[in-house]
Amino acid sequence: MTAAAPSVTLAKDAARAHRAARWRRTAVPYLLLAPALLTFGVFKAYPVVDSLLLSFTTGSGAATRSAGLANYRRLLDDPLFWTALRNTAEILVVQVPLMLALAVLMAVAINSAFVRWRAVWRLGIFMPSVTGLVATGVIFAYLLKADDGAVNWLLDAVGLPTADWLGQPFWARMAVVLVLTWHYTGYNAVIYLAGLQSIPRELYEAAMVDGAGPIRRFTAITLPGLRPVLLFTLVLSTIGTLQLFDEPYVLTGGGPDNATLTVSMYLYQNGFRYFDFGYASAIAYALTLLVSVLGAVQMRLMGERDR
Amino acid sequence: MSHLSRRDLLRTSGAGLLALAAGGTLAACGGSGSGGASGGDADSGTITVWSWATAAEALRGIVPAFEKDNPGIKVDVQDIGEPAIWDKITVGMAAGGQGLGDVLHIGCDYLPGYLEKFPGGLANLSEFGADAHKDKFAKGLWPVVTGKEGHVYALPWEVNPLGFFYRKDYFDKAGIDPESLATWDDLIAVADRFKAANPGIAVIGLNKAANPTPDLDFLQGLMQLQGAFYFDLQGKITVGSEPAVRALTIVKRLEEAGLIADTPGVQSWVPVMKTGKLAVAAMPAWVAHYLEKKFPDQSGNWRLTKPPAVTPGGKRTALVNSTHLAVSASSPRRRAAWKFVEYALTRTASVNAMFNAGGVFPALTEAYTDPLYAAPSAYYGGQPVLRTFADLATDGGDPTNYSGDYARALKLVSDAQTKVLLKGADPAAVLQDAAKQLAQQTGRTIA
Repeated sequence: MTAAAPSVTLAKDAARAHRAARWRRTAVPYLLLAPALLTFGVFKAYPVVDSLLLSFTTGSGAATRSAGLANYRRLLDDPLFWTALRNTAEILVVQVPLMLALAVLMAVAINSAFVRWRAVWRLGIFMPSVTGLVATGVIFAYLLKADDGAVNWLLDAVGLPTADWLGQPFWARMAVVLVLTWHYTGYNAVIYLAGLQSIPRELYEAAMVDGAGPIRRFTAITLPGLRPVLLFTLVLSTIGTLQLFDEPYVLTGGGPDNATLTVSMYLYQNGFRYFDFGYASAIAYALTLLVSVLGAVQMRLMGERDR
Repeated sequence: MSHLSRRDLLRTSGAGLLALAAGGTLAACGGSGSGGASGGDADSGTITVWSWATAAEALRGIVPAFEKDNPGIKVDVQDIGEPAIWDKITVGMAAGGQGLGDVLHIGCDYLPGYLEKFPGGLANLSEFGADAHKDKFAKGLWPVVTGKEGHVYALPWEVNPLGFFYRKDYFDKAGIDPESLATWDDLIAVADRFKAANPGIAVIGLNKAANPTPDLDFLQGLMQLQGAFYFDLQGKITVGSEPAVRALTIVKRLEEAGLIADTPGVQSWVPVMKTGKLAVAAMPAWVAHYLEKKFPDQSGNWRLTKPPAVTPGGKRTALVNSTHLAVSASSPRRRAAWKFVEYALTRTASVNAMFNAGGVFPALTEAYTDPLYAAPSAYYGGQPVLRTFADLATDGGDPTNYSGDYARALKLVSDAQTKVLLKGADPAAVLQDAAKQLAQQTGRTIA
């Protein structure tokens, strides 16, 4: 049985080597992931948790003290929060469908066989989403000026009435919708373009053989084919609009008379203008709740048959 | 893309997390840490001074003399920029004083906020003997730099008495002598005569929609002329008080009389002024220098007088605002920093040198004896405008309590003014509503 000893050792060695190799195999990915996980922990997870705790406090710095649910109760009684919520909802209801419909039309148009220089069009519609938000705001603030802005000049030139875009509550809101649409339509259109590529051509050919016209083909093939992508963009746009901040911040400052005050802007004002971090955190969590609920509802309504 | 399932969606977008990130940024700033007890009282080394624009330039001007008189202390003046400096101070204070300058230039609108929200963030200057300088500054400023427990946290540097600049040519054309306008009502009474003689010319410019920022200096001036503000000295809310309603009513009547031009957007008052469409600038002292620099072609047309009173026989002086130098409590060289503050602000030579260099009108009243304040100004038709402001500052004003909730009050009152100007709302109703909201948000009581 002397010969067995080396074979046992060998087997042990093999097992050890195997374990070491497995450990290396599992450790390496985790090691590679570590920087990302660490940064996520420090810069995302920790603030997320800490701001939840913060939402139960009031004051800041050394004067921070526990406030229980006071911030949330205060939120319910705060007319400006409700105004911000209503504004955000109104912009959401008007802007998101408008933008997504435009994006679908753009994507279908660019995808059509008749269009030349497709790359140029694609680049053109995507360009606005590459533009920095502040630059966008500044440029539009300039274009929308009441007295000598280019938009009013154009309206006047074609005989339409001009508007005080940034000075009247209704028009200020329209200006925000306009800029949002300008900024994000191309982004969504490019996503739809990708979605369109994956709809099998044979479906269209078969439909054509069956005598379906372009509108019928659009409603019976294109839209259902795009369904998952539509859901994706709808949810993303909804989240984006609920968190709407940059455009009103640079265009209108939330005015006039709070007509374009959004929840995120109000959050910012409370945090960084009024140093009221606890209250701002409560607003952030109210917003989170809203986003989660709306996202879940949308996915339930649209995503169910996606299996 | 085409087979995106619900789970993929959650994975790729991290739906909830996106929203949470908004809260996340806040936590980073609001977290623990507080007024630094970690500072020290060294009286040598390099101190950094945070200021902005021309004021920073002016401070730099006196550094060589200070360093010569105080060997061992080096001064580095940094132009942080305004309004960036407020966020930087906020972040620094929230981080327990990390990365803050040793000397901080702070406006009267931010000082009470820092004192309230970051107790222990600014050094108690009474410990260095600041109280000895109490009577040297324009009346009404000392309460602003004094904390609740009676300690001094800053020294006043700049003070801005309210002036009434007017276009003599326009008023002459209408046969009106602004010197004779004792109250704002007197001005409103001659509105038609003024407009008939000067078609297309308005009296004052306001950013009616408050886009992108509130434009309340004028309204505040009208309140301050009555010794009133958004808060009384005890910190109670006076936004809906009688003086406030009177002030907003004047704004409303000026608007109805067609005397207010809209100046929307960032700094758009400037282009409107450039075209000569405004006849009055009811603005503080720093504007004297500014008009001359910015609108050189209107030279000889402008004059200055005391602002009209709000009520017959009422006061005609108001200290619109002030700025201050404070020392951060976390500074390891607090004594050196204080030495610089004292050197810069309590000596006639320093404040006047800085006034000449950066147009910062000094709060130090003994500085006004300098002949420079009596010099006639060609831009103002030979009128010694600085004398008028020096007199106004010497008269002093009522202290204004900006409180730690100024920003919130500003926003709510601005909404009220916008409602009046855009929708013709009733001043009393909108102000009382603003007062109620302010009370609900801040927990302060209404006076």
